[in-house]
Amino acid sequence: MIHTTFYDPNITVVRPGVERLTAINAKAFKEDVADLINGGATQLIIDFRDVAFLDSSGLGALVGVLKKIGHRGDLVVSGLNSDVQQMFRICRMDRVFKVYSDVDTAVQTMAETQ
Amino acid sequence: MLAPRLKIIVAEDSELQRLYLCSLINGLGYQAIEAEDGEVALDLVTSTDASIVISDLNMPKLDGIGLTQKIRELDLGYYVHVFMVTGADENETRVEALRAGADDFITKGSSTEMLKARIRTATRLINHAAELAERTRILKEANERIQEDLRAAAAAQRQLLPNLQDDMMGFGIASVFVPSAIVSGDMFGCFALNDTQLGFYAVDVSGHGVHASLLSVSIGHLITPDYVRTHAFDPAGRPDPAAMVATLNKRFSASENDDYFTMFCGVIDTATGHMDYCQAGYPSAFYVDQAGVTSPVGDGGFPVGMISTAFYENKSHHFETGAALIICSDAAAEAGNLLGEPFGDTRVREIAQSFPKIGIDKIPTELVHALNTWRDGAPLEDDLTVVALERKYQ
Repeated sequence: MIHTTFYDPNITVVRPGVERLTAINAKAFKEDVADLINGGATQLIIDFRDVAFLDSSGLGALVGVLKKIGHRGDLVVSGLNSDVQQMFRICRMDRVFKVYSDVDTAVQTMAETQ
Repeated sequence: MLAPRLKIIVAEDSELQRLYLCSLINGLGYQAIEAEDGEVALDLVTSTDASIVISDLNMPKLDGIGLTQKIRELDLGYYVHVFMVTGADENETRVEALRAGADDFITKGSSTEMLKARIRTATRLINHAAELAERTRILKEANERIQEDLRAAAAAQRQLLPNLQDDMMGFGIASVFVPSAIVSGDMFGCFALNDTQLGFYAVDVSGHGVHASLLSVSIGHLITPDYVRTHAFDPAGRPDPAAMVATLNKRFSASENDDYFTMFCGVIDTATGHMDYCQAGYPSAFYVDQAGVTSPVGDGGFPVGMISTAFYENKSHHFETGAALIICSDAAAEAGNLLGEPFGDTRVREIAQSFPKIGIDKIPTELVHALNTWRDGAPLEDDLTVVALERKYQ
């Protein structure tokens, strides 16, 4: 279900491909991203531009993939709408994930810091 | 044990023809049942469990087509195959018979082999239908058992919830608990810790349904007044709800899965109105004074069981006499209407704000009512909990 775009050097942008990342599809999302990580992706940007809503299961899956990548690489998020931002703030996820306003800024920053 | 012989009703007014067909059918290993006209045949269809009827076209009282129509009108719970005996060239009659609900034809004077083959085809279909019916019955039975178990689990879960009918230590408490499935991933509690202190908590396990409810129930069993007395106070005896949350985080971060929960808990000194609380990913509560001035309580905190190294903070708030604290799970603000627009924090806050007007007891049901209207009667997709506390007197 996820859409992936690759940028040099070795940056993978993931769009969840759903409008609502919830209990219904969180597991599939996590498995898809885990496959990318198992396939060697180390610099990941999860772009939420087209995601309107993220529930607690969606957040759990996102933290799950962050834990999976661990020290092997980096996983950042971009394009959070105001509702998702609010959820990130209440759960302190803004202290766990690097959050970028849009995917271009995320790609640029990630490329520069490698 | 031998399978019972399949019953076949032979509807034929000519005795000779009837006897001939019956002996053929009996010879094939089936049990033929004689009917001298359509009416007798119809009675036999309802009184025996025959699932094949071989019917002549022209019979007194009720002809073959009439009999077929009547059979199709019956509600037997299984399908009856109808063979019509016709002449080889009676095409129009055959169309009429098919429209009436006949399945196949036996041509007058056709060979025994043909009759045998046709009955065998019907038998295959009957056996197949019986297998399907049996499978459906087993699934239905299993489903009923699961539903029954779930209802028992839901009842057990509700028994864990406090009975908040009466005031507690000068506090009026009202609540609602609305599972999105039969069981819920939410849990809450409110209890006296000693003569002056009141403890409370609300928990929302990520996800919902059976999986989440297993964790929420285990949390409900874990967080007893004793547990709070032991874990939510520092060595000097001062309230330290963050310490309890940190203990829970340590305990629940151990598992490898993505399960976690959010929590809002606190200790209120009922004599002074001082409240120490810890917010762990649960939505901020609303504090409403007697004038209806509403402010959020808490600005966030890490969920529990998600990150083992998370740290938790104590915050405090003064609870004036006559003021209320409304704690509400994220199911309220996240509830979408038909257009997918969420109910939002602002609307939850507006309902909290109505506390001085409608009173503490009506706040939870008012919110449920508003959500129901917002969703046009559609059930919530997430478990809802509302706990409202009012400091009535010192």
